[in-house]
Amino acid sequence: MESLNALFSLGFATALTPANLLWALLGCTLGTAIGVLPGVGPAVTVALLLPVTQSVDPTGALIMLAGVYYGAMFGGSTTSILLNTPGEAGSIVSALEGNKMAKMGRAGPALSTAAIGSFIAGSIATVLLTLLAPVLAGFALQLGPVETFSLMMLTFAAVSMVLGNSPLKGSIALLLGLGMGLIGIEGQSGQSRFTFGLLPLIDGIDIVVVAMGLFAVGETLYTATYENNIVGRIESLKGSFWMSKDDWKRSWKPWLRGTAIGFPFGTIPAGGTELPTFLSYSMEKKLASPSAQKEFGKGAIEGVAGPEAANNAAVTGTLVPLLTLGIPTSATAAIMLSAFQQYNIVPGPLLFDTNPELVWGLIASLYIGNVMLLVLNLPLVGLWVQFLKVPRPLLYGGIIVLATMGAYALRQSWFDLMLLYIIGVLGFLMRRFDFPVVPLVVGLIVGPMAEKHFRRAMSINEGDLTVFLTHPISLLILLVTAAILVVPPLMKRRQALLDGAR
Amino acid sequence: MIKRVTGEQLLAIGIILIGLVMAWQIGDIPEEAGYAGIGPRFFPSLVVAGLIVAGGALLMQRRHRNGPDTILSDGEDDTEQLEAEEAAARGEANWHMFIIASGSLIAHMALINLAGFTLAGTFLCFGICRALETRRPALDLLLSFLLALGLFHLFKTLGLNLPALLPGGVL
Repeated sequence: MESLNALFSLGFATALTPANLLWALLGCTLGTAIGVLPGVGPAVTVALLLPVTQSVDPTGALIMLAGVYYGAMFGGSTTSILLNTPGEAGSIVSALEGNKMAKMGRAGPALSTAAIGSFIAGSIATVLLTLLAPVLAGFALQLGPVETFSLMMLTFAAVSMVLGNSPLKGSIALLLGLGMGLIGIEGQSGQSRFTFGLLPLIDGIDIVVVAMGLFAVGETLYTATYENNIVGRIESLKGSFWMSKDDWKRSWKPWLRGTAIGFPFGTIPAGGTELPTFLSYSMEKKLASPSAQKEFGKGAIEGVAGPEAANNAAVTGTLVPLLTLGIPTSATAAIMLSAFQQYNIVPGPLLFDTNPELVWGLIASLYIGNVMLLVLNLPLVGLWVQFLKVPRPLLYGGIIVLATMGAYALRQSWFDLMLLYIIGVLGFLMRRFDFPVVPLVVGLIVGPMAEKHFRRAMSINEGDLTVFLTHPISLLILLVTAAILVVPPLMKRRQALLDGAR
Repeated sequence: MIKRVTGEQLLAIGIILIGLVMAWQIGDIPEEAGYAGIGPRFFPSLVVAGLIVAGGALLMQRRHRNGPDTILSDGEDDTEQLEAEEAAARGEANWHMFIIASGSLIAHMALINLAGFTLAGTFLCFGICRALETRRPALDLLLSFLLALGLFHLFKTLGLNLPALLPGGVL
């Protein structure tokens, strides 16, 4: 109950200051807008805001960034349902049933069940985060560099093996990220690595440039090359907006089941929201009443309620390892970690002791953000629909101008613009050949941390590599890692789910 | 039997090349013994080895519809058929548009210090609109200009210095 005490005395006291409320509102609004816009995800937005937040105090900035992350998940469902083009990976499943519902004139109930489900799942997951995080942080305090390094290996294995269709491509993406992370001055020895004698590379490649390159420039190049002829059709919001009694009856169980699936998946390093939403979808399909089962594929409300809840619960779940272990498990979490680093704050078990206002303020702001998002998304949904009417060419043009500006503003140098373009072409190729990008982003951010912990572990243990196997916790983690590498049952199951979902 | 080199195989060769260039660069990292023999070359060596091995595996991989990364005997290779199916699903690549988008980005890079943020940004935004086959170029040109100008002034007030064309900093 110590955590509840901290939440109320510290957290809400911090989060409820007018300035922080404003940051939360700004983040949620921006996040929803971004989530609604097709083709822009939370990762780009958080990356775009990084340079802007440099002059803001850390608590406010992180509250805003968390709002963006959350809001994008809420807003993404609107696009999936009305336009059938998911804004981010977590909303792919919602498009399956949601868009069908919209086509039958039931867009209102679909949007409502998504928003209310997201609210309920987000709130329950935040309660779980409140209760779990301090316990886990206390446990994590006992982890030394040996165990931390093993945990990072587990993260690497999980993000590259589980995401995408091919573990091999996932590994290549991870290695490319690790390689990029090596560029620049190496902290321990002060030697520069892979700078090719170029001065601007000494500071390394900035995460802002990588995120914009992959997600904004790469996406635009891909759309220009392959998707010019795809015409989206916005379903109109007609008919009753509110959910009927029957809709409620069919939604509440999927909401809770979705939360139960989403939260644990968020906390393990399996890369965020894609997997739990697919799992939730297939579960609802199996558990639905016979009459509802017939509706699957034609617009079953269960197929929107479950995955949307799973989606939001997973997003909150990713904050657990980020705040307690300092390990990001999704692209957006990785970029948020670099936001912490920007303020010289190291997320991890010590965060609860060194920056209690910040961490509890952030958690409290999630409760508040959830309420804000429910209001922003339910009564105001008509406003966001207008965003869908922005013509695509202009939308992408605007995104690219913002991306180049973000990259240029880092150092006022055209060199970053060139890097942006090169990474953009890389992103284009990865998209074209189905390489997952999350392993690259996670590798880029976690790679240098892993190297540091590895070398620390080695210097403490006098270069004895067996310590990773003789420390019991480390051994356990490495065994799990080995299991992920050797046994790919998750992969197969996911494939079956994908086939089943089609 | 000579097989057509697929795009994926070209990519695999590219990955191996990156690995080799990095391997060559490792020689430039001064090797200090570091603590316990783990110096600044250790991790790069692991990454390089990984890239070359994974690139090699991608090059050798034969794809099969039964699942990813299945390595099959020669007769069962359906890489080409799968590629054809995927290409059909993806639609024809429009490289013309890729070049317009790329050209806009490169021109922006060159222009930003010469013509200032506003004009370079206008050009870039408009170029991207063209690459995405806008149906109303004139309006987009105007909106691109207004967007770039608005951003320029917004960030100038926020204290972010962007290059201007005119000394007064209106454009």
